[in-house]
Amino acid sequence: MRSAELKSADPDATSGSNPDFDSAPRIPHPAFPEPLLLFEQVSKWYGSVLALNQVTLSLTGGITGLVGANGSGKSTLLRMANGQLKPTLGRVSVRGIDAWDWQARRLVGYCPDVDAFYEDLSGRRFVWVMARLCGYTRAESTQRTEDVLERVGMRDRADRKLRGYSKGMRQRVKLAQALLHDPELLILDEPLSGIDPIGRQELLEVFQSLATQGKCLLISSHELEALEKLTNHVAIMARGRIAAVGTLPQIRELLDDHPLSVRIDVDRPRDLARLLLAIPEVLAVDIGKAPEPEGLVVKARNPKRFFQTFSRLVIEEQLEVRRLEALDESAHDILGYLLGGSGRT
Amino acid sequence: MTAEHPPSSGSVVTAFVVLTVLSFQRHWRVRQMGWVSVGLLGLVVVSVGIVTARDRWGLPDRPVRRDLTHRQFAEQQLLPGRYDSKRYETVPLPGVAQIALHEVPSPFDPLKDGIQTLILSIPQAVMESETFKDKWAFMNFSRWVILGAYFGFVLPMFTLAYASAAFGTERESRSLVWVMTRPMPRSAIYLAKFVGTLPWCVLFALGGFGALCLAGGDYGHRAFPLYWPAAAAGTVAFSALFHLVGALFRRPVVVGLVYVFFFEALVAALPGSLKLLSLTFYSRSLMYNAATEVGYPAGMMDFSQPESSSTAWFVLGIATISLTVLGTWLFARLEYRDDV
Repeated sequence: MRSAELKSADPDATSGSNPDFDSAPRIPHPAFPEPLLLFEQVSKWYGSVLALNQVTLSLTGGITGLVGANGSGKSTLLRMANGQLKPTLGRVSVRGIDAWDWQARRLVGYCPDVDAFYEDLSGRRFVWVMARLCGYTRAESTQRTEDVLERVGMRDRADRKLRGYSKGMRQRVKLAQALLHDPELLILDEPLSGIDPIGRQELLEVFQSLATQGKCLLISSHELEALEKLTNHVAIMARGRIAAVGTLPQIRELLDDHPLSVRIDVDRPRDLARLLLAIPEVLAVDIGKAPEPEGLVVKARNPKRFFQTFSRLVIEEQLEVRRLEALDESAHDILGYLLGGSGRT
Repeated sequence: MTAEHPPSSGSVVTAFVVLTVLSFQRHWRVRQMGWVSVGLLGLVVVSVGIVTARDRWGLPDRPVRRDLTHRQFAEQQLLPGRYDSKRYETVPLPGVAQIALHEVPSPFDPLKDGIQTLILSIPQAVMESETFKDKWAFMNFSRWVILGAYFGFVLPMFTLAYASAAFGTERESRSLVWVMTRPMPRSAIYLAKFVGTLPWCVLFALGGFGALCLAGGDYGHRAFPLYWPAAAAGTVAFSALFHLVGALFRRPVVVGLVYVFFFEALVAALPGSLKLLSLTFYSRSLMYNAATEVGYPAGMMDFSQPESSSTAWFVLGIATISLTVLGTWLFARLEYRDDV
């Protein structure tokens, strides 16, 4: 498997990321001087809503996970990579070709999160029609259809109408159509969503197999655990930015080094402040003044360890916590994901 | 694609042809608006059929005012007893041709009688002309059924239903993504969709025209060969327009209906130069000129200042091409999201 390399060049965009990534050397494929997928300072607005904010990203191979809460900008980023959306600012290219150019779509296979097909067709017929729409002859389309159905494990059960398929079967058909033109880059938007554990494991094996065959996969998910089984390379998106990027251990290190500000409303703020100051991870505690005398703002390193200690204190001291809010939103989201939550406290 | 099948690029031309065929094949699924159009056409056809069955296209059955036809009006004008056989008996004169007094308005005032007879003889002669009555009835049918109902209503509705659905249906079912992610130019997608949709538009628009003509009996049989080129040209131009509307707007039917009923219906009927912006105006001009060329009194259609046939053909052709080129250009540049 080739290596994947992601970078976020905007220092502001990586409040929880390692700045070293910004200057990390790209590792281009030996045969291709251009990165397979390149985002250069890309921003995207939907009206007044900023969906992507100065994202810079370079992808050269392997499996890369894209993680983030709903609305964090994952799908927008993937649709730009596939030429479905145009950046408002910046440039997206695939092997040097503008992603908006139809020729770039020869290099990209896209598996959308939309669960809509031509429901009256069978899975086999649908994939065959998609092959024909790639411009292949009837014979070649048939051959490619059988190949990709075999590859996703649907060859023997693709003759039923799509409307009768389970979620897992539909995901496989979506994956099959993305593989038809043998793209270098596969973009999979939430491919594991709604899949049962067995189906999920099967799909993960398919992804691994594709990566082994030299495909580059960019897979989005809002579940870090699912991607952890597949790849060690992840980009975490939060509020339109790539908040952290790299391997999971690297991201965890980033979080350990990055101080986190947390607002805590509690019934005995002074007692809690005293206790917190005794914790080595806590750098500073500000006690709120009227009209919010119950509030504390705590600045702490190593958030995971801090929260473990804090939780123990709350139980031992029987404190009544009324509010717990991370004030650094990007770090907040990263933290939420790394702690296995939704990013909301 | 696997090791046994090395990667190869498909042909854009093949993809274009396949998409055209696919669009055509899947377009019979245009349900809601299609059925609405068929239903409305059915109502119009039934109405025309009833009028035809009662032979009410002729001048005597034209309303003078509400609930009163020319025939009824004329009957009211007859003085009671004026043709009473007892009062106006034929006077038997030996060796002289018998005079039917009841044919003379004022039999005892020769001057008045002569003038009145002269004046009344002209409309009388005209009204007794079978050729005139036939042409009048045909023009009456042309005016109300073809010019009014068909060009003002049936044609725009069918083309709106079928042309706007080329993208509208895909958007509604959220399946547009499958086409948009194929390696083919967006402009080719737009064109292929149009070419695949056009036969349905022509089929239904001209089919609707044929149905109305069938319901029109003898007048309809004469109208079809005379006006179908105008109907076809209008269909193609409207299809290009509504295909563009379908590609640009998320609610193309609403936009199309507003256009049909507030622009075409109103503007095309207005005197002045604003009607030159209406596609219906040029289709109607073609129809008007077609009727004139074969000797029908097209002026009876109550259609003012038509353009010449060559101008109408040119404008409809240019409009079709321009709208298609504009749509191709815009479609290649606009983002399409079917997730919102």
